[in-house]
Amino acid sequence: MASSLTVPQAIQELKIAQARGHRDSNEIVRKGLFVLEQKNGLKMLGEDVWDFLEQMAVAALDIGQLELADDCIQRLAEQFPKSPRVEVLQGQRIEAKDLDMAIKYYETLLDADETNVAAWKRLISVLRQQNKMDRCISELTEFLDTFYSDLEGWLELADIYASVNLYTRSLQALSHALLLAPQNPFHTLHFAETAYTANDIPLAIRYFLRTTELCGDDSRGVARRAWFGVRLCTKHLTLHPDSPSESATKPMSTSSLNALGELATERLLAAYSSTSEKAVVPGRKEVLKLLGGSGTSR
Amino acid sequence: MAPLGRAIQWTAILVLLHTAYSTYEYLSQLKALDKPQDHIPVDVTIEALVSLVLFIFGTVLAAPALTEITWAKEMEKRTIDEMDSRLGFAGFKHRGAKFYGS
Repeated sequence: MASSLTVPQAIQELKIAQARGHRDSNEIVRKGLFVLEQKNGLKMLGEDVWDFLEQMAVAALDIGQLELADDCIQRLAEQFPKSPRVEVLQGQRIEAKDLDMAIKYYETLLDADETNVAAWKRLISVLRQQNKMDRCISELTEFLDTFYSDLEGWLELADIYASVNLYTRSLQALSHALLLAPQNPFHTLHFAETAYTANDIPLAIRYFLRTTELCGDDSRGVARRAWFGVRLCTKHLTLHPDSPSESATKPMSTSSLNALGELATERLLAAYSSTSEKAVVPGRKEVLKLLGGSGTSR
Repeated sequence: MAPLGRAIQWTAILVLLHTAYSTYEYLSQLKALDKPQDHIPVDVTIEALVSLVLFIFGTVLAAPALTEITWAKEMEKRTIDEMDSRLGFAGFKHRGAKFYGS
């Protein structure tokens, strides 16, 4: 943990975390405090010090370090009075204490400016935290009607629907997300797994295969999960060929399904093999048991 | 590899400067002898071309490592957590404060 971390390296990692949207709040606060404690840490940030403070404030609120968050927000408020971004940060600080007051605060912000995206998102988030699902979903759909290209919003809507077991609506939201980010294998995997949960197996197997196509030759991470999904789907379809399917997707022929099942098995075996004699890939035994077992649709 | 490339680049620049100086000296010699200044000796031309070739060679050696450009390779480095993080909607009422809070 306390490895030899240099200030430029910490700053670089914090920038990457901000650009990619990592929600690694504990690590961000640790690295941020390390930078702040160095003598010329803030100077090395130069112009980016305000982005850094904003990132630190949100991360500190996420892990409950309220004094650190207050400190960062105060510095930002002194530098940028009347800034909408700082107002939303102050709203997040209120959220940490009292959610009802936070709702009123965001509503006043939205009365002043209806198109305040960040405030609207925070309002939706607070409604979800208070479990007011009806109002939350209606606000979120109105938000997405206005700002269609907000990928985050569609993913959040899909998550909300999935959390209340409305999987087909979750699939609809995810299809919009797929339109906005077509090359992203993570979202296609999400779609495929939601389709499987919604018992639409032909659709699921199509999207599992699409995920493997997007991943190329990769056999780690997402592609491996997708191959497991392909195998699950082929097993399900070959064991229950006569089950009534309400799926809109055309089902595949049995020979294709068998071929796909064999391909998935071969890909998984390859993923869990290693070229050297001594190293055994962890999980290989369990995967062999899974692949060798027959007659179960699990 | 990169220092060698840089050294070759600097050598090429020095050779080019030498070529320039040789040309200047030859042309001023022609001017002093009142001869027409219409040609440069062949070896100076060859030296200029040699400096060009050396510079190209040095630049190629000194180039930084190539990075992958396909989308699939970029996606290999990402995780599901960062793709699905939805920071704009992130709520703070979870057990993080119990672990790390003050």
